[in-house]
Amino acid sequence: MAISLLNPKAEVARAAQALAVNISAAKGIQEVMKTNLGPKGTMKMLVSGAGDIKITKDGNVLLHEMQIQHPTASLIARASTAQDDMTGDGTTSTVLLIGELLKQADIYIAEGLHPRLLTEGFDKAKGKALEVLEKIRIPIEINKECLLDVCRTSLRTKVHHKLADVLTEVCVEAILAVKPENNKPVDLHMIELMQMQHKTETDTSLVKGLVLDHGSRHPDMPKRLENCYILTCNVSLEYEKSEVNSGFFYKTAEERDKMVLAEREFIDQRVKKVLELKRKVCTGTNKTFVVINQKGIDPISLDQLAKEGIIALRRAKRRNMERLALACGGVAMNSFDDLTESCLGYAGVVYEHVLGENKFTFVENCKNPQSVTILMKGPNKHSLQQIKDAIRDGLRAINNAIEDKAVIPGAGAFEIAANKELLEWKDSVKGKTRLGVIAYAEALLVVPKTLAVNSGFDVQETIVKLQEESRTNPEPIGLDLTSGEAVNPKDAGIFDNYVVKKQIINSCSVIASNLLLVDEIMRAGMVSLKG
Amino acid sequence: MSSKEILTLQFGHYANFIGTHWWNIQELGFDYHSTQPSEIDHEVLFREGLNPKGQITFTPRLLLVDLKGSLKTLPEEGDLYGTNSAPSPSSVNWDENKVEFQEKQCEPKNDFQKDLNNANIEAIVVQNKQYNLEKNVQVWSDYLYSRFHPRTVNIVNEFKHCNEENPFESYTLGTSLWKSDFFNDEFTDKIRNYIEECDQLQGFHVLTDCTNGFSGLSSACLEHVRDEFDRKSVLVLPVIPSYFPDNDFKTPAEQVHSIMSDSARVINMLLSFNSYREHSNLFVPLCVSQDGWRQPGIPKQFYHTEYQYKLPYHSSAILAAALETITLKYRLKNSHFNLPDICADLSAHGRQIAAGSLCFPFSFNEDASFIDCLDQWEGPLYTSITPRVSIGNKRLMQHLVLRGVPESRLKRAGDKAGKQKDMAAYKCNTIREMLEFYLSCSTYATASNVTTMEKGVTVKNPFPDLFDKSIGINGNVTATQRLENTGVESIPVLAGVHSGNEIGEMIESLYDEARKLKIARFHQFAVERDEYEESLNDLLFLRDNYEDTYLV
Ligand SMILES: Nc1ncnc2c1ncn2[C@@H]1O[C@H](COP(=O)(O)OP(=O)(O)OP(=O)(O)O)[C@@H](O)[C@H]1O
Ligand SMILES: [Mg+2]
Repeated sequence: MAISLLNPKAEVARAAQALAVNISAAKGIQEVMKTNLGPKGTMKMLVSGAGDIKITKDGNVLLHEMQIQHPTASLIARASTAQDDMTGDGTTSTVLLIGELLKQADIYIAEGLHPRLLTEGFDKAKGKALEVLEKIRIPIEINKECLLDVCRTSLRTKVHHKLADVLTEVCVEAILAVKPENNKPVDLHMIELMQMQHKTETDTSLVKGLVLDHGSRHPDMPKRLENCYILTCNVSLEYEKSEVNSGFFYKTAEERDKMVLAEREFIDQRVKKVLELKRKVCTGTNKTFVVINQKGIDPISLDQLAKEGIIALRRAKRRNMERLALACGGVAMNSFDDLTESCLGYAGVVYEHVLGENKFTFVENCKNPQSVTILMKGPNKHSLQQIKDAIRDGLRAINNAIEDKAVIPGAGAFEIAANKELLEWKDSVKGKTRLGVIAYAEALLVVPKTLAVNSGFDVQETIVKLQEESRTNPEPIGLDLTSGEAVNPKDAGIFDNYVVKKQIINSCSVIASNLLLVDEIMRAGMVSLKG
Repeated sequence: MSSKEILTLQFGHYANFIGTHWWNIQELGFDYHSTQPSEIDHEVLFREGLNPKGQITFTPRLLLVDLKGSLKTLPEEGDLYGTNSAPSPSSVNWDENKVEFQEKQCEPKNDFQKDLNNANIEAIVVQNKQYNLEKNVQVWSDYLYSRFHPRTVNIVNEFKHCNEENPFESYTLGTSLWKSDFFNDEFTDKIRNYIEECDQLQGFHVLTDCTNGFSGLSSACLEHVRDEFDRKSVLVLPVIPSYFPDNDFKTPAEQVHSIMSDSARVINMLLSFNSYREHSNLFVPLCVSQDGWRQPGIPKQFYHTEYQYKLPYHSSAILAAALETITLKYRLKNSHFNLPDICADLSAHGRQIAAGSLCFPFSFNEDASFIDCLDQWEGPLYTSITPRVSIGNKRLMQHLVLRGVPESRLKRAGDKAGKQKDMAAYKCNTIREMLEFYLSCSTYATASNVTTMEKGVTVKNPFPDLFDKSIGINGNVTATQRLENTGVESIPVLAGVHSGNEIGEMIESLYDEARKLKIARFHQFAVERDEYEESLNDLLFLRDNYEDTYLV
């Protein structure tokens, strides 16, 4: 530090060096992520030193798996995962675009242009790109057809297209089932994701109702009941000594037994109340009774409930108590003092499914089908994980579309359009800042270019083709990945989320600028990325 | 009656070192051939399950957490529920020309691990071979004998093991990690899954690092456990390694780093001790060195034992033997104690910290009677394994467990008793009675409760051979030296938990250290000065509960 204070040239040299480092780091991480982009991208199978497997082509997942040491690279990675936190998509594009902005900038900086001018140009271009985005944006009616398109586009970039199509159907059905009528936001928590690991079965389906990851713990309880009253509660049916048995004051065996009896009595009273209500509402009808308790139920209580033909589950998940009340009606009870029929919910059928040491309980044909469960089956943890990641992405894509009430034509259409408009508009930008606009326009093409490379097409040829088509055709022009020809993404049903693109545009030029103005940043200290 | 289950939670690398020894000791002690039923009820800490092949499994009822890169050769899901087919790109459902396969080099296994996996090598050979694990153990899975349920191992992806760039070094990092999706959803689901299986849960064992970010993670987890399972007892065992590599500094810069690290560790202990106080029934801080903070200090001495305190593989073995012994209180088949009983006995009047003690091995001559052994004993019976506590002999509540001294060795029969008959203790008819009698004579205003068990602690491979040559195969002191290449198989151990006003001094010492620190200088904690002052005050309140103003 002392030396650089004496010698201003050293400072400049240091900044230039840092810039070079930043650019090469950005290129490096871009290189790694490039192959992922789009439905023809490369799937990666990562195996750890101990044999743990991870299969993915999702940018966000990969960034989390990679051992990123370089501070610049990890800065880009963080920007990109922030993108995922906010919108659930677009991480690969983010990395590519930041890398490309720096690459383009590098050319001009090598010719002596000050980075400051470039970043000013980026900023102007960003504003223009957002305008283009507004223009190209397609308002949508929230209907199944349209949501299917968005979701399918997203999922086909994550899993094999056959699986993608199955998951697409499931995700859209799920969202439509839980979507409130009155345009209120969808609560994605209302869609439970449940995994079942099974050697041979691999399918994913939508259960209209709940699937709990536990079953009854008594051999004589029914495995299936129809026409069920559902009692959801948070009341301990488990004998717990209230008085501790100190090691220092011995009690005789009889004394101890007596105490146990007295306290047991207390729990028995609670069970009795449940039995009474059950008899009252079920006797003489074809109705049955199910207890789902958030607290424990001990073997003696289970036995008493089993004798009455009740299915009783213990230690239900807190969130499921809310979902049960929503789906089945009724009230989750915190005590049994005022137990009446009106506290009970209803389900058409409750049944148990056993898989090795795991049990599952299905609660279906509920009063309100507002709670649904996506049930995933797969042979091992990593394939289940891959499906789960994909479903999360699919659900968010649909949800984004609903909230945006709009979509963007995909397949590079936005980038081609924005590139064209920026190049037309650049002459109105004064001075050297214009070069920044040109660099930005050029950088956007990284998306269609990479899509072309990943599908095995010649980059120059493809881009020229698309640009020519776009000059004469006012419709959005994207790349058909099977033919290499121009295609209208609207006709092909390829749609991306508006909010995702918007976020990419907003963040990429900022990050790239930060990395270019490295000397200023070094003086200002750390920049905060998120938010 | 079914067993009274306990769920064990382990947080952090040193806690996992101890845990690994503990599970190993238990499993190596399983006796599949004996006609006598085991004295220990193994179902308290283990669970029975069924793997996809339809085989019965018996695995620790355990969830452990560690950082990325800490497992080396251990696959996260273990191999017991074996779905791990050899990975191959062809199994990936994607265009086969577009699959990239990235395989890290397979971590090499050490000889012990190789022999374990080799069905052709008999267990007995593995037990007696010299593996030199002192050199080969880097992480706890290097000497793991137990096999885990697939839900047991949980890896934190946000932080890497031994990473200087982004260390998991503060309480605050731990508490915010708890808010991540993984811990909030998956981990809490796993806790619930285990508890749901239990018919008569007693409570939880929480074995946790308290000097790094795991102090915060375990604290946040405890709060959750309290919330969800309010009436269950929680015993927390915060552990402190006996050596931190950063304390061996060479350059001035390293020295500064070391000093800062020592301070951060003190802050972690302060903050976590307060949450343990709030959310547990009892907690017993453990360290085989004297001081715990600011640096661990001089390692404790144990009879006929030599260990390298710088090796976590060694120091953790000693603490594991202590835990295995003391928890027998509520793990024996004939025991009428529960975890809640012990916690309540020792935490009366808000004294939620107790001290641990250990006599390892319980020094016992091969041909002696227990009565003579006690008669000739010099010095205290046991050593404190809680830092900065020297357990006294006045006004204590204490629970002790002695194992490995058979009833047949109590005293000689009437006609051969000789001088034994003159001793007052001769009237005692069990080991328990005699030890309680001994304690009542050597203490003042103290309540001691003793539990005994015939079988000692199993110390076969991969437990380190820490014993000098005068300890025989059966763990007793012999006149003839133990032969080269024969290991000790089991040892008698005495261990205890004690509550007394000495613990107030320990709290005071932590308070004094913590008070000196300017919290604002420790950005990694993001704790405001007011909050910090409040924590200091809370600790003082706890200290006050140990003031000796009343009689037991
Ligand atoms: N069928 C298709 N034909 C052409 N382009 C497509 C098609 N489906 C998706 N794309 C394009 O692929 C790009 C998205 O690819 P991908 O989802 O792999 O990366 P990302 O969204 O940037 O990052 P992430 O890894 O977070 O999903 C978008 O530009 C999208 O328009
Ligand atoms: Mg995507």
